[in-house]
Amino acid sequence: QLVSALHNLTRHVVYRGLTGAEDILCLFPENFHQNLKNLLTKIILENISAWRNEAQASQISLPRLVDMDWRVDIKTSSDSIVRMAVPTCLLQLKIQEDAALCGNNPVVSALTVELSKETLDTMLEGLGRIRDQLSAVANK
Amino acid sequence: VSSQQFSELTEVLFRFLTEPKEVERFLTQLSDFATMNKISLGPLKNIVKSILLVPNGALKRNLSSEQVRADFIALGLSEEKASYFAEQWKVNSPTLTRLAVGQTLMINQLIDMEWKFGVTAGSSELEKVGSIFLQLKLVVKKGTQLENVYVELTLPQFYSFLHEMERVKTSLESFS
Repeated sequence: QLVSALHNLTRHVVYRGLTGAEDILCLFPENFHQNLKNLLTKIILENISAWRNEAQASQISLPRLVDMDWRVDIKTSSDSIVRMAVPTCLLQLKIQEDAALCGNNPVVSALTVELSKETLDTMLEGLGRIRDQLSAVANK
Repeated sequence: VSSQQFSELTEVLFRFLTEPKEVERFLTQLSDFATMNKISLGPLKNIVKSILLVPNGALKRNLSSEQVRADFIALGLSEEKASYFAEQWKVNSPTLTRLAVGQTLMINQLIDMEWKFGVTAGSSELEKVGSIFLQLKLVVKKGTQLENVYVELTLPQFYSFLHEMERVKTSLESFS
């Protein structure tokens, strides 16, 4: 019962995003032991940002990017042309499925994608537009 | 075959080579040519088939127009016609080369990318969140099918992704 009550208390604090000692102190009932109240508040305050980050990290979300790697190859010949020198890019994205669904065994899949120079240029254009929009939002 | 008929035929051939998907049109043009010049379609088709072998082989081995001309003369074509064909070849070879390179094997080719970003307002654990997320939808061609891949990135991840992609672009440019 004690653990459950503590759990509820901490969840409530994290949920509301309470950061001030006073806010937490007034959650306790009136005849609560003073020193215990202060101790609990101190501990909660120490841990609150860690808990908050963890809650955010384990939110439901679409699959998340965890890592990316790339390499550039030069294609020198194929069955349709015997000699050529075409650079191409291989991009590997490591994607982790929704953390909430996987519990303690996150499933990470690797997706390898090939990009030609034109595709890469178009993609960079799109990414640049995203960056511009992000800075427009940030500057508002 | 007179030289005018030959040039018409060459035109039809090259039009087909530069647009290999237009098979219907090619066949129609061939039968038109046959009826106009009173040649029967069967032997014409055979001749065309053997003629087509020459540009295809030339493309594979990156032959210059000189070499194409020499090949045709070796096969017994008159010099005038061989030169005409070689000229046409010179004009069309960049397009043909580009087509052949385009047909080269690509693994999991990225076809399209869509994105949206927004702000997470709240969740079951945190009442007010206010963090920005970016969602990408990548359309990838696996074999003959298209597959949609959804990925979410945080802002720092997005910036390093952008940075890496710019490095890739510099690398690709230094090789072309």
